[in-house]
Parts: sequence; C-alpha cells; structure tokens
Amino acid sequence: MLLLDVVDLKLEFKGIPVLMGLSFQVYQKDCIGLLGSSGSGKTSLFRILNLLQSPSQGKVMYLDRDTLSYSPTALRKRIGYVMQKPHLFEDTVADNLLYPYFLLKTEPNYLVIHQYLEKVNLSESILQKKPTELSGGEQQRIALIRSLLIQPHILLLDEFTAALDEENTIAVEKMILAEQEEKNVTVLFISHQAVQAQRLAKKILHLEKGKIAFYGTKEAYFTSKDVDV
Amino acid sequence: MTNLSLAMTFALVLLALYLSYKDKIGLEKDIMIGSVRAVLQLTVIGFILTYVFDLNNIFVTTLILGLMVYNAAVVSAKRGRGIYHIQRIAFFALLFGLVITLGALLAFGAVEYQPSQVIPISGMVVGNSMIAASLVFNNLRENFLRRREEIEIKLCLGATSREAATSIIRQTIRSAMLPSIDSMKTLGIVQLPGMMTGLILAGLPPTDAIKYQIMVAFMLVGAVSVSVFIAAYWGSKSFFTEFEQLRQP
Repeated sequence: MLLLDVVDLKLEFKGIPVLMGLSFQVYQKDCIGLLGSSGSGKTSLFRILNLLQSPSQGKVMYLDRDTLSYSPTALRKRIGYVMQKPHLFEDTVADNLLYPYFLLKTEPNYLVIHQYLEKVNLSESILQKKPTELSGGEQQRIALIRSLLIQPHILLLDEFTAALDEENTIAVEKMILAEQEEKNVTVLFISHQAVQAQRLAKKILHLEKGKIAFYGTKEAYFTSKDVDV
Repeated sequence: MTNLSLAMTFALVLLALYLSYKDKIGLEKDIMIGSVRAVLQLTVIGFILTYVFDLNNIFVTTLILGLMVYNAAVVSAKRGRGIYHIQRIAFFALLFGLVITLGALLAFGAVEYQPSQVIPISGMVVGNSMIAASLVFNNLRENFLRRREEIEIKLCLGATSREAATSIIRQTIRSAMLPSIDSMKTLGIVQLPGMMTGLILAGLPPTDAIKYQIMVAFMLVGAVSVSVFIAAYWGSKSFFTEFEQLRQP
C-alpha cells in the first residue's frame, strides 16, 4: 500500500536551496535508510514529512491526501519523528513516557512502558530519575520509546543510535524490526553508518546536495560501483 | 504647599546631581533631563486635565482613555519586537484589562464615569498592565528562543501549539503576575501607595483613605490578570504558523 508520495519537493532556507525537487514513494512496511553527507538535506526532509516545516514547492501526499490538508497534530501522531538530539522534558523520565498518553487522552499503559524498557536494556528504576541524570544513550532510548508510545504508522528516526554502544544499538534495532513486524510500522531512518543501513534497511535513499543520488533496494545500492558509501 | 516650597524641593535634585558628580557615576545629564521633563510634562498634563475635567464630556474622556491605552501598547510592544502582530496583541490586552476593570468599578458603583475619576484610575490600571504585559512579551521571547527544541519535540509528538507552549505560558504568567501580588501583600507594611498617600496629604482621614487604596489594589490585580492572560495566550499563539509550526526566529 502506498503511504507517502513525495512529489517534486523543494525547500529553500534564506534563499539557499536545501532540497531540490525530490520525488519518491514509500510503501507500507518499508524500511528505508537515508544516507548522505552532512548538509545533504536528510533532516530537512524529515522535518517536512513530520510537517514541522512546509516545503517551498512540491508536496507530500499521505494516503492520497496532501499532508498540508491534514490536522497537523493528527498527522504528527501518524508520522512520528525521533529527532537526532533526544531532548527530554519535564521532571522525570516517567513524565516523558506519560506525555504520549496525555496527548492521546488515554490511560497510561504501564505494562507497555515496562516492555519497551526491557527491550532496550533499561530497568524500571530509570523512571524516577531526572533526565539530567541519564547518559546520552539512555536519553536516546527514552526518546525513542516516547515516540513509539504514540503508535505512529510511519516512524522517522534521525541518527537514533548515535549515542549507543554496539550491544544497545542491536537491541534498539531489534525493537524497531519487531514494531515493523507486529504493528506494520513503516520506518525511515537517517544513519551515517553503512553497516547499520545494511543490517536494517530494505531500501536506501541516498541524498547529495539536496538531490536524490540513489533510491532503490539495499542490494542494488551496495553492489552499485557508482555509489561511494 | 506654596510655589516657593515646591521650588525649594529642587534642592533634592541638586543633591542627586552632586552625588553623581562626586562619585563619577555619569548620571548628571540624565538627572537634569529627567527632572526638567517631569516638570514640563506634569505642568502640561495639569493644564490639560483641568480643561478636560471642566469640559466633562463623555467622548473626550473616552478618547483620552483610548490614547492612554494606545501609547502604553506602543511602549509595551517594544519589549516584544519580533512577535507577530505584537502591536495588536499589546493594544487589546491593555484595552480589555481596562474595560473589564473599569466596567466592574462602574457597575459596582465604586466610581462614576467622570473625567476626574476615570482618568486617574485608568492611568493606574493601564500603567500597571503595561509593565506586566512588557514582562510577558519579554519572557515569551526569551523562552521561545531558549526552549525551542523542547517545543518542537512536543509538536512532533502531536501536541497542539497550546499544549507545546503550556509550561512557557504558565511560567510567563506567574512571573508577570508576581510583582502585582507581592505589591498587594506588602501594602501598608512596606509601602503606603500613591493614592493613599495623596489622599492623606490632601487631609482625608487614613481610615477613609484605605478604602480607596483597597479598591485600587483589587482593581490593579484584576486588570493585570486580564492583560497578562490575554498577552500570554495570544502572544504565544503568534509564535506558531497556521500549520502549528514554530516560526523561524
């Protein structure tokens, strides 16, 4: 099923072109790795998909409707976005993980929270800690769980394991794959590690200087001689 | 008080000038300009108010109240440079603060719509609301800049702009209201405020003067609340686009 249809997407920031006519499609249960050097427009693309920013030109269709025609808050609950910097707010970790329930206006499901914590090697005692007491890796995992509790259809992950060691990276990747399998979540992730893209992605979208340098299957990408990873 | 007695009080300004000069503070010019402006402005307003009080015209009185609100809004809006529609927000925040408070005082029979009563009272209301609104705009600007990431995180989780800005709005309202509340708490203990002092100096018994001061205290806290709430909620809304996106600073 076609979820996202990105059509001739352009973005300018203070007169400087950031994205230059991107067109690509995303289907349900895709797992797409976004690769490309810094400043190639990956984060800007995610911000537009999550509607944190509007494009200068072009459009993004979600389920055959322009994303600008949706209620922004409803759309953002469908297209979740985990930012590169895992900013935690409020007083405790528990406050962060209860915030999605406040937004969804439902009763907190502590069992689900505990299951997520367990999957990413975090103990329940972390709930009472203040965000400032957490390591970068712990903050990153809490930020990811916070987004998953919203139950998005599409998950945008911006360098979501940058602060994690190998063991926890694998645990988080496993959790993402399980979400895909069990809840049909579609995943787009930005990574600077080709090895992670090889492990996790089904497709690769390679951006360079605001343009698509490659979009296709992971196998085609990594066997292509023209692409420098 | 005779004119000679008044003129002699200028000696206190000379004392301030001497202290500034002696310790090389460098405020002599400002003190001179300030004292000359105070004399000129108050003299002019004294004549204008005498004329307006004698005229006792409802339209002229209302026009003066409108000008008061407009001028205060211009001053307050300067603290919120960069906030969308800041002039409009400041004007209506102050206007509603005045209309609701003055309306209540008129309805309760505490004052009559006569220039000699509503102009001084409105001056106090608008002046205090202006200071509070300026604090709101200043706080909003600082917080929206400093806590930009936090707001965007909340937005991208699906929070509305109101939900994303709730903690900033609450903090802003609290810090803008505190001076008025603290001032009310210390009335009579730390300070004998302007109106009460004026009435006592004019010969009214202190027990009568406090009645007016109590009315002023309640009136100011009411006016400041209305203006602060409008300025904070409307002001925070203007940091977002129609798509609930944070505007670029």
